[in-house]
Amino acid sequence: MIQVENLQHTFLIGKKGKEKQVPVLKGVNFEVKKGEVVAIVGKSGSGKSTLLQILAGYMKSEQGSIKVNGMETAHLTEVESAAFRLQQFGFIFQNFQLMPGLTAFENIELPLKLQGIKKAMRIEKVKKLMDKVGLTEVADHYPNELSGGQQQRVSIARALITNPPILLADEPTGSLDSETEQDILLLIQSLNREFGLTFVIITHDEEVATIAHRRFRMYDGELVKEEA
Amino acid sequence: MLFKDQLDFVKQHIKKNKLRVFMTVLAATMGCAFLIVLASVGFGLQDSLRNEILSDEKVTKIQVHGNDQFTEAQINEIKSIDHVETVLETITVNASAQSIFEDRDTQSDLYVANMHDFEQVNGKLAEGKYPTKPNEIVVGYHFAQTLVNDAERKIIEEKNKKAELEGTFYNGSEEGYKDSLIGKEIELSLMPHTDGAKETEKMKYTIVGVMKKPSYDWMINNSIYMDTEQKPMLATKLAATGHVKEDEMFYSEFNIFADSMENVKPILDKLKDKGYSVYSITEQLDQMNVFFLVLKIGLIFVGTIAVLIASIGIFNTMTMAVTERTREIGVLKAIGASPKLIQRLFLMESTFIGIIGTLIAVAISYVISFAANATLPLILEAATGEDAFSKNDITFSLIPWQLVLIASAISIGVAMISGYRPARKATKIDVIQALRQEL
Repeated sequence: MIQVENLQHTFLIGKKGKEKQVPVLKGVNFEVKKGEVVAIVGKSGSGKSTLLQILAGYMKSEQGSIKVNGMETAHLTEVESAAFRLQQFGFIFQNFQLMPGLTAFENIELPLKLQGIKKAMRIEKVKKLMDKVGLTEVADHYPNELSGGQQQRVSIARALITNPPILLADEPTGSLDSETEQDILLLIQSLNREFGLTFVIITHDEEVATIAHRRFRMYDGELVKEEA
Repeated sequence: MLFKDQLDFVKQHIKKNKLRVFMTVLAATMGCAFLIVLASVGFGLQDSLRNEILSDEKVTKIQVHGNDQFTEAQINEIKSIDHVETVLETITVNASAQSIFEDRDTQSDLYVANMHDFEQVNGKLAEGKYPTKPNEIVVGYHFAQTLVNDAERKIIEEKNKKAELEGTFYNGSEEGYKDSLIGKEIELSLMPHTDGAKETEKMKYTIVGVMKKPSYDWMINNSIYMDTEQKPMLATKLAATGHVKEDEMFYSEFNIFADSMENVKPILDKLKDKGYSVYSITEQLDQMNVFFLVLKIGLIFVGTIAVLIASIGIFNTMTMAVTERTREIGVLKAIGASPKLIQRLFLMESTFIGIIGTLIAVAISYVISFAANATLPLILEAATGEDAFSKNDITFSLIPWQLVLIASAISIGVAMISGYRPARKATKIDVIQALRQEL
């Protein structure tokens, strides 16, 4: 489903004219199969977030290849990349990244609006999904009226609403207490089992990585496969 | 994203910052209203002057310069030009006409013209018909009013003295013959303008028509008009006085009439090509239009500066909106919103401000224009003591649809342009940086 080959990236740090080159990704290779939960574990500054950002198309790599469902994504333009993201990926962020001015329902509905889907169909889809992830009760609540766990559920529902084949999660439990963390991890597991969804989870938390089928460790810009 | 959803998105953001958007709309409204009202003065003055010129002269009339007398062949040549309705020869009799009716009398000018051509040019009469028989005449609208007896003459004199003391003038409108003159017979004698001339013997004429009221209130027309067939008879009568030379009895004036105002210009050009020295009031209109075009462009330019100042407000509002919503824009981009969509959403917002501002400005401008036309004459009359302002129907401000269109295009266009840079800035927002922003 995802094939990453020899992915390299360097950051320029420092004042203009006196910049230093800091290699962040030093030829990363890995593969994610359909229906897999893959965890990329690593300490802060190891390059794991950069890897996810390049995977998502938020930034471009200097070298290497990324194939998603057989399509080379490393050289897409900004507009093409946005359209590709909307169709192929669902995103779960550490800080939930919900729109503060929209209710839980409207937040989940947002990707469908971007896809240009009509209102009647949107309402039906969102209601169904909210029911599935247990958010019906808080449909009209704004993000600041929800608990951390509920916000992350809304975030996951927003990621799922367009039925993307791949979900990219960046520290999905980073802002949650341990009890809520367990809830979210169970939800991810059940979604994977029930719908065969593919997850790529970036985390520094070893506990989170336990739900993955396969686990990679990012260390100083290099990726090492670990036994699950 | 569906257009309706895009509109909802924009509306939602406007609602969130009601006060700021309101103030920006207010600035846009003031700028656009200033532009419209300022330019409306140019349109209003042009309209007033145009009406003044057009009501003074017949628009389709082409005057012939000098005392050139047209020959029959020349008249036919001119008549053969497309859209020439007629060539009217108006002969002024070089004598004062003394009319006597019952115990009343008046003095007036006498004109002789081909009544067929005369009718074609002057159209409908106020009363009666054009002469068809030799002893029939048409009189000016005020002929009956000037037909006074001795008693009325004294009253007029008194009223005039009184008016003079008040610094005004009395035109005798309350006196004169009050009944219809149609079918009435008058006695007419001519007093040549030459020195030592005697009055001709009296001739009898029947009034069959009364001319239309002149376009100006102050114009008094008590002239007498008769057919050219009367010219030899008049010449004989004038010659009989013994003091008038043959070539001083009549003065001819030739006027060419086009069938419509639009055709005056081509006829004028053709006549000039043929070597005629001709002039039309439309030439004066053309010159005036060029002057007012320049004036209106100038006024619109000055007004546009106000719109540009208002656009700074729109630019600031939109820049603030983009800065405030950096994280939201980042989220939208992160989940797959295209940069084009984000640019469109912000451009729609600035356009919306421009449209609402323009709509309100147009409404306000019409109110100001109406109020100015209603009150300015009264204020000027009170300030200067001249009643000409309220009497002469001066349009101080006029807002034609073209001005609304131009001002709307400028105002909305400027609003869109001022929103363009912030909108571009929104598309350039870095997703990663935006997502890192604190809530």
